[in-house]
Amino acid sequence: MPKIDKTVKNETIYILSFEIIFSLIMQSVFLIIGKWDITVLFGNLLSGSAAVLNFFLMGLTVQKAVRKDEKDAKNMLKVSQIYRTLLLFIIAGIGVYFSVFNTVAALVPLFFPRIAIALRPLFMKKNNNDSENIEK
Amino acid sequence: MLELAIGIILGGCALGAGMAMIAGIGPGIGEGNAVAKACEAIGRQPECKGDVTTTMLMGCAIAETTGLYALVIAILLIFLAPNIFVNILMNAIG
Repeated sequence: MPKIDKTVKNETIYILSFEIIFSLIMQSVFLIIGKWDITVLFGNLLSGSAAVLNFFLMGLTVQKAVRKDEKDAKNMLKVSQIYRTLLLFIIAGIGVYFSVFNTVAALVPLFFPRIAIALRPLFMKKNNNDSENIEK
Repeated sequence: MLELAIGIILGGCALGAGMAMIAGIGPGIGEGNAVAKACEAIGRQPECKGDVTTTMLMGCAIAETTGLYALVIAILLIFLAPNIFVNILMNAIG
């Protein structure tokens, strides 16, 4: 198994932590509106883990691809994207088809990484300010 | 006649799902191009590898969301929409 790059590890941890935070928020929303049952938790676990796995696999592919030449890297990412989309399709399909999983809870967590990335500039700014303060 | 109507509903849903997945082509091409350019950038400045990889990872994840939207639409059209439309049809017939 190839060694996992530090950048990939850090970014996956960042996405994972936000996935957990947003999942908790989603569970509380379900609880507040009185629609919570165990299927919500199962759906959330299924698609939350799929979203993080998808990001991690993308990171691994990118880590491998940057060591190759341009053409190979391009093809590698395309193939990886097809396989990852297929994986997500199967997992989301399972989440929607089987009544053990709540449909909404099985689909919404797939978009949490996108929200985490949208919020990233806020944290990066804070980190930059912190490092500037330390330098001063 | 009812079978034909249900067939048209199922066919329409399947066709719609297939058409939605056309949007899945875009992220693959986009990510491929981004990584190709990143390879070029790392080749030029190897000391920036960490920063370039981080930025690219985030870019790739954002690009992939477009594909995810299409995927969700396709899944809804395949698994949920046929039942809903058939129910509406049945209610309309009475």
